[in-house]
Amino acid sequence: MGVLVRWIQERVPITGDELRELTNEPVPNHLKRWWFCLGGTPAYLFVVQIVTGILLAFYYQASPETAYESVRYITEEASFGWFVRSLHKWAATLMVASVILHQLRVYFTGAYRKPREINWMIGMCLLVCTLTVGFTGYSLVYEQLSFWGATVGANIADGVPVVGGLAKQLLLAGEEYNDRTLSRFFLLHAAVLPTLMVILIAVHVTLIRLQGVTEFVDEKHPEKDRGSFNFFPDHLYTELIMGLVIMILLTTLSTILPATMGPPADPLTTPEVIKPEWFFYVAFRWLKLFSGTAAILSLGFIVFTMFVWPFIDAFLEKRWPRSEASVWIGIVGTLLIIGLTLWEAAVEH
Amino acid sequence: MSLSAKQAVIGILGFLFLLSLVFVQYTEVTRRRAEAGIGEVHVIVPDSSKACVDCHVQSTPAIIDHWKSSNHATTGVGCYECHLADPKDADSFDHYGKSIATIVTPRDCARCHQQVFDEFEASHHAAAGNILASLDNFLAETVEGARMPFAPHSPTPGDSVDMVNGGASVAVGCMQCHGSKVAIEGTDGSLITMDELAPDENGQPTNLDAVAKILRTDDGRPVFHASTWPNTGIGRLNLDGSAGSCSACHSRHDFSPRRARQPENCGKCHLGPDHPQKEIYEESKHGVAYRDLKDEMNLNGKEWVLGEDYSQAPTCATCHMSGHMRNGGKVTHDPGERISWTNRPPISLRMDTDINGAVIKEKDPAVRRELVADTWQAKRQRMKDVCSHCHTSTYLNGFYKQYDDFVVLYNEKFAKPGTMIMDALKTNGLITAKQFDEEIEWTWFYLWHHEGRRARHGASMMAPDYAHWHGMYEVAERFYQELIPQAREHADHAEEEGETEAANAVRKVIDDILARPEHAWFENE
Repeated sequence: MGVLVRWIQERVPITGDELRELTNEPVPNHLKRWWFCLGGTPAYLFVVQIVTGILLAFYYQASPETAYESVRYITEEASFGWFVRSLHKWAATLMVASVILHQLRVYFTGAYRKPREINWMIGMCLLVCTLTVGFTGYSLVYEQLSFWGATVGANIADGVPVVGGLAKQLLLAGEEYNDRTLSRFFLLHAAVLPTLMVILIAVHVTLIRLQGVTEFVDEKHPEKDRGSFNFFPDHLYTELIMGLVIMILLTTLSTILPATMGPPADPLTTPEVIKPEWFFYVAFRWLKLFSGTAAILSLGFIVFTMFVWPFIDAFLEKRWPRSEASVWIGIVGTLLIIGLTLWEAAVEH
Repeated sequence: MSLSAKQAVIGILGFLFLLSLVFVQYTEVTRRRAEAGIGEVHVIVPDSSKACVDCHVQSTPAIIDHWKSSNHATTGVGCYECHLADPKDADSFDHYGKSIATIVTPRDCARCHQQVFDEFEASHHAAAGNILASLDNFLAETVEGARMPFAPHSPTPGDSVDMVNGGASVAVGCMQCHGSKVAIEGTDGSLITMDELAPDENGQPTNLDAVAKILRTDDGRPVFHASTWPNTGIGRLNLDGSAGSCSACHSRHDFSPRRARQPENCGKCHLGPDHPQKEIYEESKHGVAYRDLKDEMNLNGKEWVLGEDYSQAPTCATCHMSGHMRNGGKVTHDPGERISWTNRPPISLRMDTDINGAVIKEKDPAVRRELVADTWQAKRQRMKDVCSHCHTSTYLNGFYKQYDDFVVLYNEKFAKPGTMIMDALKTNGLITAKQFDEEIEWTWFYLWHHEGRRARHGASMMAPDYAHWHGMYEVAERFYQELIPQAREHADHAEEEGETEAANAVRKVIDDILARPEHAWFENE
């Protein structure tokens, strides 16, 4: 045993004590609250997505002639195919939800403020990547929702002044949905966006380690939040518990509500009702409320505002100190997102 | 939370996760078993049928197995729910304290399936039993068999035959498709049928004298006449006055919708030399597609709506009975609702039907209009609604033009002239009133009943070989090479016998027919 340890240490020059010191970075006490684990949750689900995505890619064939049939094969014939596909679908749903919840937590605890503005913007990039990977994901099934969702998405991109046409061409690999579109979506979904996300997550986590976790002190119980605890094993246990809860939740959802398939894509039959996945409901309703370029530009403006919010917040704080303007804007914005999503969910058209 | 508490939570959650994976494995195994057809069925045995199942699982285990795989079994419809009988019913008997009947009639099924019963009773299927005493049955009852028992010709080694049952051919042939008139043996040797029982609107006998003389076994069961039961003919005439047998298509005791959706099911009766619909379908592109794609046709589906649940190929049920997207998935149990020609008689008729569903033969247009309850055009439109899931209106109209032209050609060139010749022979006394005692009657029967139907059915369901070689080619050969020469032979014979006027009358009919331009090729230069 000693020989083996010595052999490894000669090649990996780090001792056990050094490793413990590295992992045992003090974690602020407020992280003992469960809802502060929301940052680790999307990362965990991202790993689930990579594993299940690789398994699905063994069977998936990205062309209009074969895509739907290959997904049907995965769902109905391949051993445990339905389970892996359902895990992938539900993990995607939970990942989007947990990214949004994580962002809300960061926003309302002011964790984006100086010196963490860049990390907020990286988080925003991760949100956009998550939504885009979701969009390209359900486009791959090549059911009616896939085809017409992609077509509507491309037409929305086309509405952007100046660069819209180019964006549409880049998305569809042509003026309209064609034989090359699906392989482009597959490449974006399974290679480009995941690689980008791995890089962004690495930078995101590195910056957290470099800057340290924002210390949050509850004014009502300051004594409870002051101080810190060890990452290993205390915080790791917390993350492990979260991971197990997620896996149980995913398995339960996958068996009780497994992923289904809609009618196959039919370019000649426009569905009477076409709706995107739930996480696009807010944008979809917004575009319906303000039709045309105005809707697209206003939506772009909102996203841009979210990107640069740390700087706007700093300006507001400087101009109106202790006004809590960002909190009120956040509450209004959150209610707006929930309201528009429920509205879109409730109506048929 | 302390570290030890966290460790305990991790242990519990880890166990729950493993448990959830076991559940996933169970789901996968269940799915595989269901795919392989060995899945567990959640059978609900109602209290009323528990004793039946417990006993019959020993005495007739296959029946119980069949029932277990039925939708009835999963919805709590057991043996008693179908076999229950009012003690006043003619065929009821006490079976371990319960009043039941052996034969489950459409009236019994109507207790739950009233609409299906109404549609079926209005259909031509339900009237199939009317073939008894018709021309076809004269063949089986008299020509093939005998209307009475008769003594054997000579001893059969190894067997002792006292009397020959002259109705044996009818019982296993005609009646197994068309349906028997179910009869119970009487104590005086008579047969007791619905005619004797005179059932009321509830199916209960009004003639109690007939009921009183029903022959019963020692345990009280009525003794069915073996020539009439067992029988699953679709037009069976039941003791309660209802017509038909649901099990003709929905085989007992599993009542499989999957089976009823397949053409093989109809092929029990719709095949053979006189109405080879099954073979015609197999030759058609529809049948070819069905053989290739049947595994993808969702035949096991709870619903089976064309355009929603499948679209690979049509079966008999698809076109004639099943629901489709354009009619809201409504199934009909009257296959005649979508048929615009009846090709059953010697001369095809348009399917204008009266309020009883009978084809109207009235020629006066005004009177005809008064009688029509459902036009042939409405029936054709219903069929087009099915076809249009796969075919454009141009294609459909083109097909129906071809079909109509073909039927009209057959009617005008062969069927009407043939009918005129046979009528002329009969009215002038050159052939007897008795059927099938002269060769020309067999010739004419082959022409319209076998070859003529094959031709018309072949055209109706896109089977070119049946329309032509097995159809019109043989019709033409039979007409020119047999019917005309045989009719002339009858005329010549009549002249030799001194019946010149009758002979000339028949010759005139034949000559007038052959002088028409469509027959000119035959004898003219």
